[in-house]
Amino acid sequence: MKKGISVSIASALLLAFAAAGQAASQSTVDATARNDAPRGGCIVLKTVAEMEQVYTAENGAAAKRLVPAAKVVPGGEVVWTVTASNVCDKPADKVAIDNPVPDHMRYVADSAMGPGTDIAFSLDGQKFAAPEALTVRGADGAERAARADEYAFIRWTFKNALQPGSVAFARFRAVVK
Amino acid sequence: MIRKDLVVLALASASALTGLLAAGSARAAGVPAGTDIENTAVVNYSVGGSAQSISSNTVTVKVAEILDVVVTLQSPTASVAPGDTRQELVYRVTNSGNGPEAFLLTMTSTLTGDQFDPVPAVPAIYFDTDNSGDLSAADTPYVAGSNDPLLQPDAFVTVLVVNDIPTGLASGNRGRSQLTSAARTGTGVPGAVFAGQGVSGTDAVVGTTGADADAIGEYVVSGVSVSAVKSQSVTDPFGSNRPLPGARIIYQIVVAATGTGTANGAAFTDAIPANTSFVAGSIELNGTALTDAADSDVGAYTATPVPQISVQLGNLTQASGPQTIRFAVTIN
Repeated sequence: MKKGISVSIASALLLAFAAAGQAASQSTVDATARNDAPRGGCIVLKTVAEMEQVYTAENGAAAKRLVPAAKVVPGGEVVWTVTASNVCDKPADKVAIDNPVPDHMRYVADSAMGPGTDIAFSLDGQKFAAPEALTVRGADGAERAARADEYAFIRWTFKNALQPGSVAFARFRAVVK
Repeated sequence: MIRKDLVVLALASASALTGLLAAGSARAAGVPAGTDIENTAVVNYSVGGSAQSISSNTVTVKVAEILDVVVTLQSPTASVAPGDTRQELVYRVTNSGNGPEAFLLTMTSTLTGDQFDPVPAVPAIYFDTDNSGDLSAADTPYVAGSNDPLLQPDAFVTVLVVNDIPTGLASGNRGRSQLTSAARTGTGVPGAVFAGQGVSGTDAVVGTTGADADAIGEYVVSGVSVSAVKSQSVTDPFGSNRPLPGARIIYQIVVAATGTGTANGAAFTDAIPANTSFVAGSIELNGTALTDAADSDVGAYTATPVPQISVQLGNLTQASGPQTIRFAVTIN
């Protein structure tokens, strides 16, 4: 049963990347990976910027797909996906991915997701906490709950070890200010 | 376990993600075109008890230029008279995109929904160069392709659309004139792309305004205008015309209506000047004496709250001709 599930995972992922590659060949891509995912440790971490594209599927219906983030304009939304691949033959544990909300962008509320993770946010990069535990001091001196668009950092803490050959995902969305 | 969770995400990404490609909202400016947005993730983990940390690749997304423009009218109507020439409507053209952009300006006065077509002056579009809010000698004519306004994000320019007003119009008639501004890079449906034509080689993307915008102003023919021209003559007790105590001043006021339409219930009042006294029985209208009392004739003198004379002229039109009012005071 478990094995069957992981097969279907693989095929779904392949489809997603194929779609992205197709779109890339048709349009100018302003997103550039400055360097390949660094190697050297047991985990290879890769960041991808994508955006949703509405297209007409073969059956004529409107559908959405992720394409490389080109032509990002103010108000546009970028889907950031971080993949952590364990390239060693030993499990990696205490895995935590940190990602700042990029400059010039605003985190989209409730958009962070990561299978098997606890997700925490931070306003200063020091104190990470669940959204309800984050507060800011308003102009009137009173503490108030932090708004999602004030989050500056996101941390995904994986509950389980990352097994050899496995890939873990973290994803969030942010809008260009 | 992780693999199983992975399935959920992969499926979610294919179907459940919401949001739009977002050609950008109508917000002004935003992050400037050409800005690099960079992102690098870091992972901390442990293998065999040894803590490790590594960064991801850095992804750079360049902000493309969004083409948007807003045209607003600074005052919705301009009051004019038939036959007036070079009457301006004042517009503001604002670059609501996020990169510097030149805009093409065009105007038209042949619009529907009005009673007359204003006649575009030549040239018909000016910049309000001296910021006076109206057409003046210092204002620069616009020449398409020559001095298209180049606006920084959020910057605006004040533009005057200039028309002549035809003759033979009735009071209250309206004539419309429109200013259109279009991004020089191009216009189109929101989301349309001009590859490589944005700031520093970025793509230029048409924003929600379609990268062109217009606004319509209106000329309204005002009713008649009533003018009053006052003159005076002095006669002193010695037969001369020096303004001495006891000298008499005869005031003459000529009231005339011009334009089309009717000035209903026109009433003329004039305060008796300080240090003078009204001469009883001196009010005349078109050479006919009027009594001082507020009675059946149209003239009256009232001493309170301030001394003044009044003449009810009734409904005046241009055809009524000038109405000449006279009254006299003596210098105290």
